[in-house]
Amino acid sequence: MTTTIALASLPVIVPVLVLGAVLKLAAVRRGAEPEGLGGLGPTVLLPERLRRPAIVLCALVELAYAVALPLWDHPLPRWGAVVFFTLATYVLVDLKRRRPEAGCGCFGEVSRKPVGLRSIGRAMALGLMTLAVALSPVTAADLVAGLSWTMLGWTVAAAALVLLLSPEIDEMVARMRYRAPCELREAPVEDALSRLTASAEWRERRPLLVSTTPVDTWRELCWRFFVYEGRTADGDAVDVVFAVHLDGGRHAPVRSALVAADGTSLESLPESIPVSA
Amino acid sequence: MNVERRRARAAAVLGRQPASLGPVPGERPAPGVVTGEIRDVSPHLLVLENADGDEVRLVIAPWATAWHGGDAAPADLPLGARAIVRTAGEYGRVADRIWVDITRFTGKILRVHGTRDLTVELDCGPHRGRRTITIPYRATGRIQVRYPRLEPGYLFDAIGTLGKGNPTALFPAASQPPYRADAVPAPPLTYAVPSVQVGSAVWSDAFDEDERGAAYPRLERSDAECDQAGVTCAALPYLALGSAVRVENQCTGRSAVVPIVACGCLTGRFCDRCVECGTSERGRIVELSPASFVELGGELSKGCFNAGIGLG
Repeated sequence: MTTTIALASLPVIVPVLVLGAVLKLAAVRRGAEPEGLGGLGPTVLLPERLRRPAIVLCALVELAYAVALPLWDHPLPRWGAVVFFTLATYVLVDLKRRRPEAGCGCFGEVSRKPVGLRSIGRAMALGLMTLAVALSPVTAADLVAGLSWTMLGWTVAAAALVLLLSPEIDEMVARMRYRAPCELREAPVEDALSRLTASAEWRERRPLLVSTTPVDTWRELCWRFFVYEGRTADGDAVDVVFAVHLDGGRHAPVRSALVAADGTSLESLPESIPVSA
Repeated sequence: MNVERRRARAAAVLGRQPASLGPVPGERPAPGVVTGEIRDVSPHLLVLENADGDEVRLVIAPWATAWHGGDAAPADLPLGARAIVRTAGEYGRVADRIWVDITRFTGKILRVHGTRDLTVELDCGPHRGRRTITIPYRATGRIQVRYPRLEPGYLFDAIGTLGKGNPTALFPAASQPPYRADAVPAPPLTYAVPSVQVGSAVWSDAFDEDERGAAYPRLERSDAECDQAGVTCAALPYLALGSAVRVENQCTGRSAVVPIVACGCLTGRFCDRCVECGTSERGRIVELSPASFVELGGELSKGCFNAGIGLG
């Protein structure tokens, strides 16, 4: 049984260690500060000058275990990994008590959420998995030799347990499903311009335009405005102003108006619409 | 690019009724603001020369206070210094608060040198260039309490005096954000944009004297012709130069509609809070000209107020 758990755990522990190390190093490289807005984990408990080296050291230790566990059948990395995760569990409990606002930093900046029972539970679960690997020393070669559907099932279960205990997943799912409101989304001018030129409003106003190059364009909330020089049927100079809504794809609403130099509309106003819509 | 007409054009095409610029009438009249160079001062009278070269005579109220690198008596203010005066009364000719030679240094630290007096070189953004300022030894302690990292790459914001060609930082304007200026945390995920955004409103002296206006951080880069625009800590909606925002000082209840006249490239990078009256939401949402800041009831020497902004 221990061997089965060890074989199922090894393909879970190694990617977790690699991912943790890479994301920690990436955060350090990016210049994120350990105590900045959620923190990078237990290093906030250390003096400032030691924080960065501590994160790098932790990442290197994780990488070392990630390499040694599947390749080296020796008690040193195996029991070392058990000690590592046991210490991690203790430190997270301590962090939750002393700095409840700090994130666990387990996966660098992704782990910004304050430490909770799930983070602690994950460290404990990984500790138990490494204990199984220490008690029944298995390597990548054993894994390949013992490959079966049953083993795959156990591995999936172990991975699901770790995912279930990972608060970062909630954030990732939320970010993947997230679509910012149009007021907050970047919207290239070219897209709005192509929507405009494909619109009926454009075709209707086109004969009035002196030039098809806009003299001004700006974006406000969900609208992109274009101003063109124009002339009325009487030959008076006029600004032809278009407003293109930035939400709605090819069928986005387009409005237009002829505006005099003093800013007044030369025709009846279009139907009023909410400014933030 | 005639941005002043954008608001009228947008209103015409969308059928909006834009609010008029300036203070929103309230229960109490908005304070007035007069700026100029001090020509004469006595315990009861202050004479300024404004930007047009006209003389402005102000009665100093008995309760009036002044700031000149710290609290000062109005009668002791130096001749020739720049003054920003908050006025009260029906005709706006009674001075009740005077700030003299006040300035603000907001930027990214480029270089720090010195042992006792520190010399700090700041990058104040693409529109404002670089500034070299001095932190005198007597002020280093109180500034470093709030700005422990006087290192290149970190943000800096302090209030001080213009001096005579030697700008001097005297007081920290806020607490230093713990991240580097180019590692601003992403705004929180927002599913709907409220009509009023809340956060911190600050002021800057990078405006013309007497100008009423604001620098707003969330502008499209192509519109603002600024490749550093659009970085914000708060989830602010996109607006444009020429748009107007209605700013409410949540500490005094005063409101005003001010035009956006500049890009607040650095403002949005500050993920701090104002604690002027309670604790504001995180992030600077607007940077006001000194005149607009004072009209809204802000205290220049404190540097910020808790604010709510919406489209004006």
